Amino acid sequence: MSDPDKRRVLVVEDEVLMAMLLEDMLCDLGYEVVAHSGELDQAVQLAQTAAFDFALLDINLNGQQSFPVADAVRARGLPVVFATGYGSRILVPPYLDTPLLQKPFSLEELRRTLVTAGV
Amino acid sequence: MDRETGREQGRAPASSELLRLVFESAKDYAIFSLDPEGRVTSWNPGAERLLGYAAREIKGHSADVIFVPEERAAGAAEEERRRALSDGRAEDERWQQRKDGSRFWASGLMMPLADRRLGFVKILRDRTDQHRAEEQLREAEQRFRLLATNVPQLVFLARADGSRTWPSPQWIDFTGMSAEASAGFGWLEAVHPDDRAHTLAAWETARAAGEYQAEHRVRRGSDGSYRWHQTRARPIAGSSHHAVLFGDQVDWVGTMTDVHDLRTLHDRQQVLMAELQHRTRNLLAITQAIATQTLRKSASLKDFQLEFENRLRALSRVQMLMSSVDYKDIDLGELLGGELRAHDGNSLEGGRVHFDGPSVALPAAAAQALGLALHELATNAAKHGALSQADGRLDVTWRLEDDDEGRTIVLDWRESCVAMPRLDGTRRYGYGTELIERALPYQLGAKTRLAFKPDGVHCHISVGLGPKVSKA
Repeated sequence: MSDPDKRRVLVVEDEVLMAMLLEDMLCDLGYEVVAHSGELDQAVQLAQTAAFDFALLDINLNGQQSFPVADAVRARGLPVVFATGYGSRILVPPYLDTPLLQKPFSLEELRRTLVTAGV
Repeated sequence: MDRETGREQGRAPASSELLRLVFESAKDYAIFSLDPEGRVTSWNPGAERLLGYAAREIKGHSADVIFVPEERAAGAAEEERRRALSDGRAEDERWQQRKDGSRFWASGLMMPLADRRLGFVKILRDRTDQHRAEEQLREAEQRFRLLATNVPQLVFLARADGSRTWPSPQWIDFTGMSAEASAGFGWLEAVHPDDRAHTLAAWETARAAGEYQAEHRVRRGSDGSYRWHQTRARPIAGSSHHAVLFGDQVDWVGTMTDVHDLRTLHDRQQVLMAELQHRTRNLLAITQAIATQTLRKSASLKDFQLEFENRLRALSRVQMLMSSVDYKDIDLGELLGGELRAHDGNSLEGGRVHFDGPSVALPAAAAQALGLALHELATNAAKHGALSQADGRLDVTWRLEDDDEGRTIVLDWRESCVAMPRLDGTRRYGYGTELIERALPYQLGAKTRLAFKPDGVHCHISVGLGPKVSKA
């Protein structure tokens, strides 16, 4: 059962070591990772069905881009935060102003980005 | 006297008087008369000045001497008189020769006198300077055409508004558009529709800037493909000089250079740079992840240092394997062999370690996680398991299984004859356990089973490789 006081996160990250690190970091910051995936189709499905408050999405998933996942999250009126090893120019409309974490990032950078994003 | 009579009575001077005055005073014109055979009968001061012969020395002699020898030998003088007789006048431009042998370019007119028995009158004017200037212009034009039609660029002449007056043959060859079709703004047809607006707009600013510059796609006539060109044009300097050459309306000369390959290379380089940046940052992020996770599970800084270094080495081994195959498939045997050799080359040769299986190509993404998991197993074996004890054995075998779901790699890591230490494996195995039990299922959809048996560690990993016919 999820803790009702904790904000719930959907993590989409294809690199497992990053996913594990993110999960630990988010946990340290008081968030709860309720679902995670590194595969596009599965992530879209989770974005449509899972119970979460916001999504943290790696843009590049094994050479595919995670924008379809972001679309599904937005369709539910939930916020999105991106993470990427590419520069900010990878963002396309309507996500140009979406908070973007540049890898690698520290716990503090993650915290600040999430605070700025209002999640 | 005639002159006085004329003035007193207010009559015009006799025409013979007028002619005499003109004849005497026309310093820039050689005017002389010839008898029907071409002998000089009169010779004005202009003729003296221009041709170098004094009237007294040439009168009565043939005037053919003023022709250059080669033309004289070819009968040019006789031909001139014949034409003057038959046509009423003979007019031409040619080189003529002075007494001292020097030549000048002469514009000449010969007419028969009304009384043809008296012969001809001839008027010559020195046009050498104009002729030289015209020749230089002609040479300049020839040089321009030679250059304009032989450089690899498409060359054009245009007016200041961008309308074109001349396309080089290269333009016609490349676009397949005729000179007529390209004239004016017809050339825009060959420019990609999306590029026409800025191509034209650049002409509006070109006059003030003194230079036209634009990049646009130009259609190749032979296959209809568009290739990027860089077009530059500049106004032609000294327009009065060139106006003679090209006509008053032409003000600009331009070249269009094919920069398609250059642009494509540039684009590719940018993609490569972005990819490199991505990989570097991801690798740093993974290194950070390993450091953070190792730190969380280390009892001391000394522990951390040792384990972190070992994991970084494992990571770099996998990275080297991946880059050696250009981030394509990696052979499982090679991955495992590298990992085992890194821990204990001697055991491998001493027969205590066996590994065997068919050739399997792992996708690069799977190789990194699996490589790190194998590193954790090998590290544990070298510290506490089969590789740390003289009697210990390690057998790693793998096989491929095909079913409706696709192809699966089934790998068995089996240590035996190991005197197992006290079961405090949770701490020691922390990160390795997590990698095997959590990471492999996550990233590879693997099924894993890790067991600490009384005689050693058993690990079972099965990784689906997806349908045999890859989606990609």
